[in-house]
Amino acid sequence: MIMDLNVNIAGVILKNPVMPASGTYECDSIHDNIFSPDELGAVVSKTIFINSREGNTPPRICETPCGMLNSIGIPTEGVNNFIKDRLPVLSGFGVPVIISIAGNSMEDFCELAGIIENTGKADLLELNLSCPNLHHGIEWARDKKELYRVIKKVKEVTRVPVIAKLSPSVVDISEMSLIAESAGADAVALINTYKGMKIDINKRKPFLGNIAGGLSGPAIHPLAVYAVYSSFTKISIPIIGTGGIASWIDAVEMILAGATAVGIGMYNFVNPLIMREVIKGIEAYLKDNNFAEITEIIGIAHL
Amino acid sequence: MKIKNSLIKPFLTEGRIKTRKNEYTGYLDLLIENDKIAEHAMPGQFVMVRGWDSNDPVFSRPFDIVQVNPAKGLFRLIIKIAGKGTAMLNSLRAGSRLLITGPLGNPVEVPHGEKIILLVRGAGAAAVVYLAESAKKAGTEVFTFLSASTRNRLVCRDYLKDASNDINIITDDGSDGYHGDARDILEGFINKSKPDRIYTCGSKRFARFTGELEKKGLTKGYVFLESYMACGMGDCHGCAVKKRGSGGYFLVCKDGPVFPVNSVELD
Repeated sequence: MIMDLNVNIAGVILKNPVMPASGTYECDSIHDNIFSPDELGAVVSKTIFINSREGNTPPRICETPCGMLNSIGIPTEGVNNFIKDRLPVLSGFGVPVIISIAGNSMEDFCELAGIIENTGKADLLELNLSCPNLHHGIEWARDKKELYRVIKKVKEVTRVPVIAKLSPSVVDISEMSLIAESAGADAVALINTYKGMKIDINKRKPFLGNIAGGLSGPAIHPLAVYAVYSSFTKISIPIIGTGGIASWIDAVEMILAGATAVGIGMYNFVNPLIMREVIKGIEAYLKDNNFAEITEIIGIAHL
Repeated sequence: MKIKNSLIKPFLTEGRIKTRKNEYTGYLDLLIENDKIAEHAMPGQFVMVRGWDSNDPVFSRPFDIVQVNPAKGLFRLIIKIAGKGTAMLNSLRAGSRLLITGPLGNPVEVPHGEKIILLVRGAGAAAVVYLAESAKKAGTEVFTFLSASTRNRLVCRDYLKDASNDINIITDDGSDGYHGDARDILEGFINKSKPDRIYTCGSKRFARFTGELEKKGLTKGYVFLESYMACGMGDCHGCAVKKRGSGGYFLVCKDGPVFPVNSVELD
């Protein structure tokens, strides 16, 4: 029996629910001997800004117990170079393309959404409203009014379905998910990293060049599962569950909690084959448990 | 020896520890069975290695490829035991399996029929052994200046001795070779021997010194850089090093790990 792994995010059919989290997998040919992105449910760009950005001062990463802190700061070539150099690569795998965008203002988001829509190559637009390493980053996703306004504005200027990527660094992320939905978001991505830091006890200074960073990896997985679980019953738009997935088991947990699709982030760095292993593992789980379609298990952990 | 001239994309592959030894204080010398790395790795390249299933430590660790033996399917790593990951590697016995991603990074161009200096310290010695062996085979004269705090930390001493036309030992405490700083004896040597290139690794002081020599027009300088990195493949953007002058960053894994010494900010 062939398992049906198809999922639907805002009218876009993914042949399986697995995609990289933005900024963790470049879909670069360096992976050719290991893994091809055409196996994925979707490819996701790193976050694009209008103008180029260098990224933050090193050190940019720090290993933590079962996780990592990063203060990469989203280096980007800017939208024009992205469209010229990277977008043709991303759209060449025959799977849906999700473009992640961010801006320093609402106008930036709207302008970028327009530029990306005009390429005709974005199946979904992800609004990165929650990067902890940007001056204004995490604030979008922490302020209810700002969150509502930016999503609503973007929705007014584009017909490309919009995913709102939200921050866990809030009182109740399920409320933020509800606000995103009411502003017109077609899906939410839960969660971005948690803001945290590491101190170098020998130098008696913050370890990271940018002082604080975002915590990701297996350490945050239970927190991400709860974010998905608590949002699932409040909203009717699909959830892309992201946060610490390091095995197919973690991914199945996310789906049972309510995720329609899953994003693999930090673990791409650890195991370059993780996304294939998760796809195969989900398929085997369905088979072993007599489910014909993945949609049968979305959110069924809810009592 | 087979001539390697095409850069191959990295593999995710399993290796087995053939032999292990702790010849120098604080270092592990591993000979690893793996055909792919042994056959395809070129001087200057590195591998990401893990030898444990758990997520703590979560990252694989990057190491320079020290020697390869394609005929026997073997390659060598020298590991400085510095933290949790390297301590776990040090606890593994012969026969243990390792998960390896590589070969990674850009190979360094092997000089043919030239005269080169290798200026290395501590763990940095491991980075240049493969280059030294390849350069010597290509008819290049190799002069090595190997520095360490003390005698039993002169890592790769024998490998470098075999791969060099001449080797100078320098220790901070005078327990072996020249007592003092390699730079004291190097400048005179350079003025006399007029090398085409200097390659340095393992010391920022040496890298800055190499940069100065190049600025004086005495020789071309190259630095093998090390960095924290999560993936080794350009995905994580963690191993950034600032470009000199023009602004922006190189990634050590993707743009390096060997750089013209004056193209990067060394501090």
